[in-house]
Amino acid sequence: MKVTLETYGGLAAAVRRRPQTLDTSTLPETDAAELTRLVTTAEATPPPTGSDGLARDAMTYAITVEDNGGTTVLEQSDPTMTPAFAALLRWLKTHSAPR
Amino acid sequence: MRTRPINCIIPPYILDKLLESPDSDIRQAALDTLLTTARLRGERAVRASIAGAAATPGDGRRTVFDCDGAASLRGAALARTEDGPASSDTAVNQAFDGLGVIRDFYQEVFHRNSIDDQGMRLDGYVHFDVQFNNAFWDGQQMVFGDGDGQEFSNLAGSLDVNGHEVTHGVTENTAGLEYHNQSGALNESISDVFGSLVKQWKLKQTAEEADWQIGADVWTPGITGDALRSLKAPGQAYNNPQFGKDPQPDRMSKFIHLPDTPRGDSGGVHINSGIPNKAFYLAAVGIGGFAWEGAGRIWYDALRASTADATFQDFADTTYQKAGDLFGVGSSEQAAVLAAWAGVEVQISGVPKARAFAVSGNGAVGREDGLAALSRQLGELNAKVSGLARDIAALKGST
Repeated sequence: MKVTLETYGGLAAAVRRRPQTLDTSTLPETDAAELTRLVTTAEATPPPTGSDGLARDAMTYAITVEDNGGTTVLEQSDPTMTPAFAALLRWLKTHSAPR
Repeated sequence: MRTRPINCIIPPYILDKLLESPDSDIRQAALDTLLTTARLRGERAVRASIAGAAATPGDGRRTVFDCDGAASLRGAALARTEDGPASSDTAVNQAFDGLGVIRDFYQEVFHRNSIDDQGMRLDGYVHFDVQFNNAFWDGQQMVFGDGDGQEFSNLAGSLDVNGHEVTHGVTENTAGLEYHNQSGALNESISDVFGSLVKQWKLKQTAEEADWQIGADVWTPGITGDALRSLKAPGQAYNNPQFGKDPQPDRMSKFIHLPDTPRGDSGGVHINSGIPNKAFYLAAVGIGGFAWEGAGRIWYDALRASTADATFQDFADTTYQKAGDLFGVGSSEQAAVLAAWAGVEVQISGVPKARAFAVSGNGAVGREDGLAALSRQLGELNAKVSGLARDIAALKGST
């Protein structure tokens, strides 16, 4: 399973940010299991509803999951993201190689 | 030199009018005069009638919360209140102080009572998420990250970034500019313009002296001399291998068409804002002096008169009209606005190109003279009132 994080928007939206990709096949077994669990939970959690769309300069995150030929894209924003999405995002940010 | 009596006696109704002046120096002078007069006469009614012109410390109360690294505002801890003691946390105090300067700026320069002009609370959240390279306005409050130390340092520490976010709230409560395409780029530009003006006002810098940068103090702390954006030189704020080059256009022919999606920055709202940003800069230096007194007033009135779907053309036309309302049709200020928009390739509707005459460099001189004369008159009045007060005190003492 390949998981790619893209970040856009925010106060510095004009800055190009490189996507960060993690592949469970290259991760230690415990990390791969944890990532799989977080992805499964995030995919199963419905996105937030009732966002008033008033956030300005908010960051948006697109997490693309490629697995067995299928691709799923999860896209949520600060500060309305679900706890499940936030947990996956936090894990990806802390486990991706620094720029 | 003999003083002409007519210059020294300013009727109360004139002072009342002066209290409504958008110029803070004039208001302060008038307020001082009225207060002195009121003390002399012991009339409480006079004090009450001018209470509205004085600062209202109860309004726009500040509260700062600490997210302590959580990517959520729920559960954030109360860190500082309007009347509470300073925090041991620098970011908390920086956000608190910044919000205070911005509140005072809107009050003193534009008579605006906080974000909604009705004393709305100013709530700031610091330490949002971990290594969070952003600050945002969520419709109710300002949220600041600490930065990762490479792209940004602590964003709460930047007054113009703070002012940028608060101004998103002001825009929501006035024009409500839709946050996509040209109206969204105008929304962003308004935040940059007033964010920069807050800093200029705090530092008492003229348009010529100001750096016209956004986030210079927190953007790429390892690289000196750059900023997140430049109103003076859009497209030239930064250029480095890690973050690339500032992509902002500085004129309509360079407008960048992007999809109206989060990935496309909602049609490039943070990119095409360079065009109206440059127009404001050109208007401010064209008018000269303190930017918040000339171009700032024009832009503020135009913001309040604009509709949510305003285009660059619509907004340019409104600023031209407001410049005429504020400073007179055909005034040097209005000519500066016309020339500023022409400088970014936006022609004001209904004005022949031939009339885009050059702006005289001394457009502000007459106004400076007027203010100096008024200050002199008020000073003389104050001296007379003080003398009278002494005489009355002496009379009382002798009875």
